[in-house]
Amino acid sequence: MQPLPKLGVGLAFQAPLRHMVEAKGHDFDFVEVVPDIFWTDCGPEASPRHIEDDDGIALVRRIMRRRPVIPHSIGLSIGSAHHFDQAHVAQMKRWWEWLRFPWHSDHLAYHLAEHRGDQANVGITLPLARDRESIDLLLPRIAEVLRQVPVPFLLENNVYYFDIPDGEMDEAAFVNTLCRESGCGLLLDLHNLYTNARNHGFDPMAVLSSLDLAQVGEIHVAGGMELDGFYLDAHSDVVPDPVWELLEWTLPRCPNVGGVVFELFGSWVDTVGIERVRNDLRRMKQLWATAQGETAGRLRRQPVRAQ
Amino acid sequence: MSLRVFQATLLQLIADPSFRDAVLAGHALDADLTQQEQARLRGIAGDRGLDINRTLHKGFRLGKLRAMLPLTCQVLGPKQLAREVSAFWKERPPSSFYFLPEALDFCDFLRRRNVRGKYLREVVAYERATLELERARVGAAPAQTVVFRHDPRTLLSTLAAGRRPRAIAEQRCRATGMKDGHGRVSWHVETLDDGRAPARRPRASGQ
Repeated sequence: MQPLPKLGVGLAFQAPLRHMVEAKGHDFDFVEVVPDIFWTDCGPEASPRHIEDDDGIALVRRIMRRRPVIPHSIGLSIGSAHHFDQAHVAQMKRWWEWLRFPWHSDHLAYHLAEHRGDQANVGITLPLARDRESIDLLLPRIAEVLRQVPVPFLLENNVYYFDIPDGEMDEAAFVNTLCRESGCGLLLDLHNLYTNARNHGFDPMAVLSSLDLAQVGEIHVAGGMELDGFYLDAHSDVVPDPVWELLEWTLPRCPNVGGVVFELFGSWVDTVGIERVRNDLRRMKQLWATAQGETAGRLRRQPVRAQ
Repeated sequence: MSLRVFQATLLQLIADPSFRDAVLAGHALDADLTQQEQARLRGIAGDRGLDINRTLHKGFRLGKLRAMLPLTCQVLGPKQLAREVSAFWKERPPSSFYFLPEALDFCDFLRRRNVRGKYLREVVAYERATLELERARVGAAPAQTVVFRHDPRTLLSTLAAGRRPRAIAEQRCRATGMKDGHGRVSWHVETLDDGRAPARRPRASGQ
């Protein structure tokens, strides 16, 4: 993966954060948007397939006057075995021609599958088996995304509440192999990793220390909540202490990272409060500044390249 | 081929508890699945994490309906809503990330089911017509008409305030909804005193 421009700290857009995102200020440097909420996908048979939301597009234009906008899509379902959605890739290409974003991302997962002869959307990202078969499914698809949208493409490590047993690889080996062979980068979601580690009882540092961190293009942090004995990646709170610790260790070790993004679902903004959001963003900026200095020192001592 | 079947089966495990029970009871899985895939699916069927996925899946679907059809959900009340939503989910798999198509499907489902409720049909017709006005399309949205049997201002404002309507005055009205060039939806209500008996069923139609 080629190095990304160093954008800094990002805030994931949600409608209740609209005033914060549109206002001047120095708490964050860029805005991440889910592009799928700014268009309607009318379905595979429809023509045109995607209809842009005029108000949403106007909002994106206003945001772009102040800060870079990075798309983080939810719609590709790149791991679906039955179908690869070329029309979604074409839509992302149209957005790139418009926004010229320096990178974009989606999820290393799937949410669409066949059901009773039709296609169903389960509404949650489901894990892929960590097998060679999954990598072979993904390679030509990632190549097509990179061909259509000629900027770095990142896939986000998934949160999973059940794992697919007897994988051929562990998570780090699976992600490292995929990035190395496909040319995509990793959107390292530290809250997903923390959630998986907590629910499945493993050490997140064991995964982090095995990952090729030169492949990390972006980092996500968030907070969650407990439900029925599980910890959920609910994006419902500020960043918990164990995730800060993971970020402090990881960030200086990612030489090609372009930004760190805080995610909070809109329905939790009032509960959490804007001031606590700002506090987390400021802390992220301090870590970012420190890490850039540390990374520069590390690179002077030992250059790190993505394999 | 078998990975497609694996993913379809996994989706069914999440969406359909009776299928999961059958798998746990040793029900035969699709013959296209490899032995490893079958073993994996049986392992997942017994995993408590699948319950969380099902909760999130249901929350995702119910959240869509509550967001798009607040008045219909209010007029149904929690018990009837739960009953109708369960029946709807058995019949219709989730097909879209987008809220509007599933909400329109649920309106059509309720109309077909002839669900009892003094105000239900006109409220469903009104919210369905509003969604038709708001849905993404190329070109202008056609105007929508809804015929009410009860005073729509009182009925809809009661529901919007989070209250169950009781003894709303009978009043035959026709509401016409339009979307202007700025995307704003407005409704014009006229009282129908044409001497005809009140319509038995409210209806919504595009003009």
